[in-house]
Amino acid sequence: METSMQANKEKIDVRKREVGKISSIINKLGVYVLVIALMILGTIISPKFLTASNFMNIIQAVSLLGMVAAGVSFITYSGNFVDMSIPCIMAFSGMIAVDTLRYGIVVSIVCGLLTGSAIGLINGIVVGKLKANPIIWTLSVAFVGNGFMRWFYSGKQIYPDVKGGAAADVFINLSRTDVFGRIPLIVIVMITFMVLGQFVMTKTKFGKQVKLIGSSYEVAKMTGINVNKVVCGAFILSALATSIAGIFLTSLAKTGAFYNGEGYDFNAVTAIVIGGMTLNGGRGDVVGVLGGVLVIGLLSNVMTLIGINTFSQSIVKGIIFIAVVGINARSLRKLGRDDA
Amino acid sequence: MDGKEILSLDMRGVSKQFPGTLAVDSVDFQVRPGEVHALLGENGAGKSTLMKMIAGSFSDYTGDIYIMGEKVELNSPAAAKAKGVGMVYQELSLAMPLTIAENVLAGRIPTKGKIFADKKAMKDQTIECLKRVGLGHLDPFACIKEISQQEAQLVEIAKTLGNNPSILVMDEPTSSLSREEVKLLFGIIDNLKKQGLAIIYISHHLPELFEVADRITIMRDGKKIGTYNIDEVTTKSLVEMMVGRPVDDTAVEVQNKVFGEEKLRVEHLTRHGFFHDISFNVRANEVLGIGGLSGAGRSELARGIVGADAINSGKIYIKGKETKIRSMSEALANGIAYLTENRKTQGLALRISIGENILSPLLKKHTKNGIYSAKRGESDVLAVMKELQVYPPDPTVTVGNLSGGNQQKVLLGKWVATKPQVLILDEPTRGVDVGAKMVIHDTIRRLAGEGNAVIVISSDLPELVALSDRVKIMKEGKFIGELIKGDLSEESVLLAANGEGDKLSGNIYAS
Ligand SMILES: Nc1ncnc2c1ncn2[C@@H]1O[C@H](COP(=O)(O)OP(=O)(O)OP(=O)(O)O)[C@@H](O)[C@H]1O
Ligand SMILES: [Mg+2]
Repeated sequence: METSMQANKEKIDVRKREVGKISSIINKLGVYVLVIALMILGTIISPKFLTASNFMNIIQAVSLLGMVAAGVSFITYSGNFVDMSIPCIMAFSGMIAVDTLRYGIVVSIVCGLLTGSAIGLINGIVVGKLKANPIIWTLSVAFVGNGFMRWFYSGKQIYPDVKGGAAADVFINLSRTDVFGRIPLIVIVMITFMVLGQFVMTKTKFGKQVKLIGSSYEVAKMTGINVNKVVCGAFILSALATSIAGIFLTSLAKTGAFYNGEGYDFNAVTAIVIGGMTLNGGRGDVVGVLGGVLVIGLLSNVMTLIGINTFSQSIVKGIIFIAVVGINARSLRKLGRDDA
Repeated sequence: MDGKEILSLDMRGVSKQFPGTLAVDSVDFQVRPGEVHALLGENGAGKSTLMKMIAGSFSDYTGDIYIMGEKVELNSPAAAKAKGVGMVYQELSLAMPLTIAENVLAGRIPTKGKIFADKKAMKDQTIECLKRVGLGHLDPFACIKEISQQEAQLVEIAKTLGNNPSILVMDEPTSSLSREEVKLLFGIIDNLKKQGLAIIYISHHLPELFEVADRITIMRDGKKIGTYNIDEVTTKSLVEMMVGRPVDDTAVEVQNKVFGEEKLRVEHLTRHGFFHDISFNVRANEVLGIGGLSGAGRSELARGIVGADAINSGKIYIKGKETKIRSMSEALANGIAYLTENRKTQGLALRISIGENILSPLLKKHTKNGIYSAKRGESDVLAVMKELQVYPPDPTVTVGNLSGGNQQKVLLGKWVATKPQVLILDEPTRGVDVGAKMVIHDTIRRLAGEGNAVIVISSDLPELVALSDRVKIMKEGKFIGELIKGDLSEESVLLAANGEGDKLSGNIYAS
C-alpha cells in the first residue's frame, strides 16, 4: 500500500500539470472577448457609440431576448437543444393577457403566465416523460399553437386599449416604465433573470441535476435522479421566462398578435451557443449566455451604425452561429473530447 | 529484426501532449506483419493514447509513423482507415439506436441505383461480417440496444474487420467477454494472424497475454520500457517493468469473518424473460458473489433489485422490513447503491469533472436552504480519491480525460462516497491494472468490514473467489446453487456455472 502511494507521487513529479494558461483563460472568458472586440470596433466606427444612452439602447433592445435566453438555456443545458415554441409561447401569453385585461392587471398577467407555463408543462411532459424529439415536438406545438390563435381570434390582432379599460394604461406602460428614474423596468427584469438563472444553474440541486442530465441522460437516471421531473421543470422554467418576455413584448407593441415573438427562437439559440453552451448540453452557464445576448445586441448596433440593413444583419448572425458551432466542435476534438 | 523486413507499423519517436500531460513521450514502436503484439502498462501509462494516434484521433502528434514502409500522416480517422488501420476501442463506439447492419456497414452501406439502401445486400454483407466473430445467428436489423454488451463487443470487432484492415488494434477487447467468448476471440485472432494481419493487443489480463501474444511492449508514464519476445518474460518481470520497482507477492491472510444482521433479503423475485424465482439474503460484513456465464441474467437481477427495471413479482426486505423499490432514487434512499457494468454509458458522465461525478448521487445531501455547495462534499471526494489512488489526484479534471482504469476507480468512488449499506457491484474492476485491482479489492473489503453488505457480480473468476464469502451460481435466469468460502475455487465456480455442479460431489447446495 505504502509503496504504491509512493509510486503515485513519483508519477506526479514526472508529468507536470501546467494547464495551457492563455487558452484556458480565453475559454473561460470566451464570449466576453467578443463583447470587448465589438465594443472597440463600435468606438472606432462611430463617436456616438461610446455614450451612456447608446449603451442603454443596446441593452434595452436585447432585454426581452435576454429574458428568453436565460430561461431557454436550461433546456439547452439539459441536452434538449431548444424550445422551438418560444414565439408561440410569447404570442399566446401576450394575447391571453390582453384578452383578460378587463379583469384587472393582476389577473391579466397571471393568466398570461399560466398560459405560457401550461405550454411549457405540456412540452416538458411530452419530451421528458414520453421522450419525444424536443425539436420536432416543440415545432409542432408552435405550428398547432399558431393555428389555434389564428382560429380563435379569427386571424386578427387584439388591442389592450380596446379590450382593457383602466388596466390598459398600466399594461401598455409596463414596458415603458423606468425604475430609479432612468433604468427601464425591462432591463431590470432581464438582469434579475440572468442573476437568478446563474444562481439556479450553478448553486442549486436542480441546476446540478440538469447539468448531469445534459452531460449524460442514462448516467443521471442510474444515479437516482428523477429525469422526467427535472426535464419537465426545465421546460416550465423556460416557458415561464418566455411568457414574461411575451407579455412585455405585447405591451411594447400595444398589440396582441399571433406573430409576436417571431425570430426569438433562433436569436435565443444563437445567443446561447455564442455564449458557450454546446447544444448537446451540460456545458456553459448563464453568465456566458448574457455575453451571447450582449454580442447580438452589440452586433446589431454596430451593423446599424455602419448602415447594414436588417436583412443582411440576420445573414451575419447566421454565419456567426455556424462559425461558433464549428469552432466549438473543433476545439473539443483537439482536447480529445470527441464525445461532445 | 533484419533490415530487409517490411514492418506493418513503425512509429519513430512519437509523442502526444495533452494540456498538462505528456501522455506519450518519444516512443518507438514496431509491429511485424502476422504477429500479435501486446501492449502492457499501468492505468494511465499511455497505451490508449498511443493507439489513438495510429487511429487518427489526433492531428497534433509529433514524430513519424510508417505503415508498410511508407511514411504516413494519420491526422484523421478517415486517413487512418484508408491506410488500413482498424481499431476496436476500449469503450464501445457503436451507435446505440442504430441497427447492427447500419453500424457494421457504416460508411459503406450498399445501395441500389446509388440512392436507396440495398436491404438484401446489407443483410448478406452484415451476416458475412458477423460470421467471422461467431455471431452469424444475430438479426442484422436488430438495434445495438437490444443485444448484450458482450455481443456488442464482438459486433464492434466485426465492424472493424469489415474494412479489411492490415493493422488491427484491440484495446482491452476481452474486458467484457466471458471465457468462452475469449476463446472464440483468440480463435479469430489466430486466423487473422495467419492472413498476415498485424495485431496490437492491449489487456491487463496477464495470463491472456501469454496465451495470445508473440511479442510484448511495456509502457510506463508515457515512455516505452522495452519490447520482448513473449518467452523472454514472466508474469513477475512484466509486473516489475510495469510498476517500475520490484514486487513481492505476499498473500493476504484470510480471517474468519463474523457476519452481522441481515441487510437485504430477496424472495421469489421474478422478471419474465430475465430472471425467475430468485431468493437470497446478504448480511452485514458479508460479500456475496454472483457467478455465472455472461447472459445468465446477473445484471438484469441487479437492475431489478434497485428498481431500474420493473419486476413482475417477488419481495424485497431491507433489514427485515418489506420495502418497495421502484426507482434508483428509492434504492439510494434505502441505502442500496449499484455500480453499473457499463461505465461509459451508465456509470460516469464523461464530460464533467471527477468531483462532480462523485458528488452526483449526493446532491440532496449537500443542499442546505436551497443552496447546493460542492464544498461540503469536497473532503469526501478527496478521501475516496486518495483511498482509490485516482490519478491525476485532482477532482477538477474532466473524467473523459482519465485513462480507463482511473475512470473505473472514480466510478467506484462515486458509490462508496454515498456510504451505502448494501453495495451492488457489477464487474467492479473492468479495465484496471493489477495494482489498481488490489486497491479496489481493499476498498470493497473495508466497506464490508465496516458492517455493510456487498454483492459482487463478476466474470473474473479469481476476483469472485478472492472477494466472496459465498457465491451464488446463476444460469439462465435462475440460481442453480451456492458455494461457500471453503469450497470456492475458480474451477468449482466454473463447473457450477456450466451446470456441472454435480461433478463437484456435494460441494453445491440447492438454494
Ligand atoms: N483527452 C485527454 N486530455 C487530457 N489528458 C488525457 C486525455 N486522454 C488521456 N489523458 C491522460 O493521458 C495519460 C494516458 O492515458 P491513456 O488513456 O493513454 O492510458 P492507458 O494506458 O490506456 O490506461 P488504461 O489502462 O487505464 O486504459 C493519462 O494520464 C490520462 O489522464
Ligand atoms: Mg486505455
